[in-house]
Amino acid sequence: MIDLLPHIINGLTLGLLFALIALGFTLIVGVMEVINLAHGSLFAIGAYFALTVIAGSWFAGTPFGAWWLSLPLGLRYVLALAIGPALAGLAGMLLELCLRPTYGKPPLYGLLLTFGAALVIEELIRLVWGTGEQNLALPQAINGAFLLNGMIFSTYRFFAAGFSIAAIVAVWLFLERTSAGAVIKAGAHDSEMVRALGYDLARLRLVVFGFGAALAGLAGVVMVPIWGLRPHVGVDIVIPAFLIIVIGGVGSFWGAVIAALLVGLVIGITGVYAAAWSTMSMYLLLIAILGFRSRGLLGRKSALEN
Amino acid sequence: MISLSDIPARPSAWITPPMIVLAVLLLAAPDLLPAVGLYQYLGIEIAIWISFALGFNLLFGYAGLHSFGHGAYLGIGAYAFGLFQQHVAASLWGGLLAAVLAAGVAGALVGAFLSHRRGIYYALLTIGFGQIFWFLAMKLHRITGGEDGLLGIPRPPLALGSWQVSLTDNRALFYFSAALLLIVLVLCWRVVNSPFGRVLQAIRQNETRARFIGYEVWRFKWAVFTLSAMLAGLSGSLLAMAQQSAYPDVMSLHQSGLIVMMVLVGGGLVSFWGPVLGVVFYFVARDVLGGLTETWLLWYGLIFMAMVMLRPEGLAGMLHGLLRRRPALKPTTAPAPATEAA
Amino acid sequence: MSKTRISRRGLLGAAGAASAVSLFAGPWQHNRVWAQGAAKPIRIGITADASGQYANSGASDKRGMMMAIAEANERGGVLGRKVEFVHIDTETTAATGSRVAERMISREQCGFLVGAVHSGVANAISQVAQKYGVVYINTNSSSPTEAGQNCHRVKFVFDGNGTNFAKAAVKSAIERFGPDWMLLTNDYVWGHDTAAATKTLLKEYGGKVMEEVLIPQGTRDFTSALLKVQQHKPGVVSAAIGGDDQKAMRQQVVQLKMGDKPAWINSQQDWDDVYGLPIETLFGVFGTTWYYRLDLPGVADFVKRYQTMYPETAMRSPGNVFYNGYMSIRELLGAVERAGTTNNIAVIKALEGHKIAAKDRMQHFDATIDAQTHQVQQTIYLATANKAPKEKDDIFEVLSQARAEDVRDTDSAKLCKLEPYEQTPTFDA
Repeated sequence: MIDLLPHIINGLTLGLLFALIALGFTLIVGVMEVINLAHGSLFAIGAYFALTVIAGSWFAGTPFGAWWLSLPLGLRYVLALAIGPALAGLAGMLLELCLRPTYGKPPLYGLLLTFGAALVIEELIRLVWGTGEQNLALPQAINGAFLLNGMIFSTYRFFAAGFSIAAIVAVWLFLERTSAGAVIKAGAHDSEMVRALGYDLARLRLVVFGFGAALAGLAGVVMVPIWGLRPHVGVDIVIPAFLIIVIGGVGSFWGAVIAALLVGLVIGITGVYAAAWSTMSMYLLLIAILGFRSRGLLGRKSALEN
Repeated sequence: MISLSDIPARPSAWITPPMIVLAVLLLAAPDLLPAVGLYQYLGIEIAIWISFALGFNLLFGYAGLHSFGHGAYLGIGAYAFGLFQQHVAASLWGGLLAAVLAAGVAGALVGAFLSHRRGIYYALLTIGFGQIFWFLAMKLHRITGGEDGLLGIPRPPLALGSWQVSLTDNRALFYFSAALLLIVLVLCWRVVNSPFGRVLQAIRQNETRARFIGYEVWRFKWAVFTLSAMLAGLSGSLLAMAQQSAYPDVMSLHQSGLIVMMVLVGGGLVSFWGPVLGVVFYFVARDVLGGLTETWLLWYGLIFMAMVMLRPEGLAGMLHGLLRRRPALKPTTAPAPATEAA
Repeated sequence: MSKTRISRRGLLGAAGAASAVSLFAGPWQHNRVWAQGAAKPIRIGITADASGQYANSGASDKRGMMMAIAEANERGGVLGRKVEFVHIDTETTAATGSRVAERMISREQCGFLVGAVHSGVANAISQVAQKYGVVYINTNSSSPTEAGQNCHRVKFVFDGNGTNFAKAAVKSAIERFGPDWMLLTNDYVWGHDTAAATKTLLKEYGGKVMEEVLIPQGTRDFTSALLKVQQHKPGVVSAAIGGDDQKAMRQQVVQLKMGDKPAWINSQQDWDDVYGLPIETLFGVFGTTWYYRLDLPGVADFVKRYQTMYPETAMRSPGNVFYNGYMSIRELLGAVERAGTTNNIAVIKALEGHKIAAKDRMQHFDATIDAQTHQVQQTIYLATANKAPKEKDDIFEVLSQARAEDVRDTDSAKLCKLEPYEQTPTFDA
């Protein structure tokens, strides 16, 4: 009889990482009422930029490049953790600018535009970074494995899970306890009212999109050692992210988190009993949940349903 | 902005002049294509995808139901045709029927699940089901051949009564595909100009309102999904004949997304002929640009994005805009009576 | 609300005109008019992936072919005719493979098609090739079905397949590491066929399968499977995992420090997939058909020619994919020379049963183009990570080399039914 506990822990840690990307996604959907199919690509961009930052490849051969590589890996990793998502955030803002002509039109156009953007970004990644699978160099402190109860666990995975918890808490604090967060929440609830109250809706949208994109980019950097890095990874992640927010209910913060943990758990457990179906299990879960609760677990009605 | 609703309320002719133009072009294609440096097989592919796109646009453009997983039904049609040839009988009509039925049943099952949903939930479920079909095609490799594909699918001869013609030559298969395309064309034209078609448009414009008027909205949504799946299945069987094999690739998210892009770029959201333009544009661009650069998909993606941002009415809409500015080209008949009150 | 009708007649007329114009503005007709007295060139269609999952391998494949073609032209061509090539991206997609093959045969007038990494694409191309009788060389697709149920009279396979590598590895691995095996199998045809070969051999040599874990294609996170490996504690793990999945798995195995225990048997390892990765990720024993530092005559010179011809590529040393591409063209053109004609049936007969000396192959033993399955029976090498590299790219340590006869894929031979010559269209390329 196989011991389920390690698999459960494995599933939960995966779920926490999913939660990180789902949050950015649900923020964007909530405020913008746009389904950002390019969210996965922003995830990928954050990861690829982090790769470049750590390796310093754009400055290779220059004195700056040499100095950069002499810095300790830990420092470069921390910088990558900051710069990668920041650049992804910028990419997100650029995408938001492209989305502007589609506001006011049916949500289909936003969906189609982000779909096209996902394709374009993946092709650009192939062009700039190549098609092959890449590795991210990790500092020794968080690399490696440790023994627990006779089973080897990856140190990095626990670091990533802990980091995700911290990030989720930080996002929650930001949304609940700061005035900027309050504006964002209000915008998610009723954007017309927020504009009537005098806030610059255009700038709010830009900021939220950038923030959501940065969260995706952050998730990207964190996920690379677990999921590998290839141009297609954007599509690999956007489907689960999409599923998660729909399962949890569009626009719901805790819905996204709970659904993410659920999905991670399902993947982890099917990995034990029906490994061949583990990737399909997400889709089956989606169909099961939407079959019974047509708005997902904690969802609210939104304009996306028209 | 113009929309699909700008269609005359009166039932129009079964065969319209543009259809005749298309038929002539199709007839001439085997000679036109090599003359401009293209090749016969491309013609077959274009004919297949136009049939697919027309059926798809019934769902996407007319009913406003956004399916991002429609490649699955193309694939199911291809596999059904192939399996029929290999395990039941080497019959052309049998195979076509099997393809249409198989895709139709799949579409009916999925549609029954989908049709109560709307908006993003609908779109997401179509992706989910599309992925499930792709997964099954790969997993059931003893039946489908998996990534190796279902191979050795014959091109059975076309037999009408005692007259028989072989389809092994690409030219012959092209004419057959073109003939089927014209039938699909007329069929779709009739559907969109029928009361059924008008209800679809009403559902697109405002589903709640359509329900309040008294229509059983989900039944219409289910019906159009099944119909478009059946047409996809028919196109799939032609694809199986063209390639003489069937592969899981068409069911992937990437390929299902391509038909969406083709239809939008062509102007399927505003015109019946949008899908036709979109398919021709895509295939010609792919062959031309693909010969010049390896990143042609990047360019196509950028064109697509630009179209969505600036010209969502697509090629058909742009052409309409051009024609409007040159009154000399307008037909002399009076404009149709008000199609619907605003 | 607009009340104007979309004038369909005008619309479609304009559309028709626009399409026609765009077609005429498109690719120019390649009606080549041969200069008076010049011989018609031999045209080879290179069907290599330039995008999609196998783009890197496809690029190496193409480079190998191009180098062989350049060398042939330097010697004055083949039968006095210049060798030209056309390359179109097959996008690692089967439907594109069909279209590309059709285009190359009908529009580009290619007499020969060469190149593949993905088995679906290879099958699509070979079906079209068989239809027209065009000789097709499958350079790098290592699915056992290529020379088995999916063999064709016009198709020749130049790579070793999963069965060859299993035969080379399994027996000695049981002797060294014990009979308790676990299988990690990528859940698609290639994975299953490779695993099937391993299971047959295990039964034959007294091994035992503790569990077979099926890994869906596109799996990114291998932790579930690796946890199970830890829980079962096998002596050997045989991994039939390919493509991107394999690279992700390697990274995760290394993170968990599981690379040394249990012992790992991986199937063929393409050079392009491991080049540039940290050496620790190259754990376990794997197979290959060639290595750039084999101590054999001709190898060093070959490597130098590569480095001279391709100074800007990131890959500074060539690998098996490049090598297979090169050999395919060389043998194809050699067969044309021997046949004295480009008649496809004659070329096929010149290839079938042809024996290639070890020194020409730059391998340890002679190779033969099997007349029954059209697969090149060649030396199969087993290697592992090199703990004492002599230079940066020296990442393989070759453990053993097996003769072709010892690792012949007999199951494929039973399944392969080549089309008769009479049923294959004949023409002069």
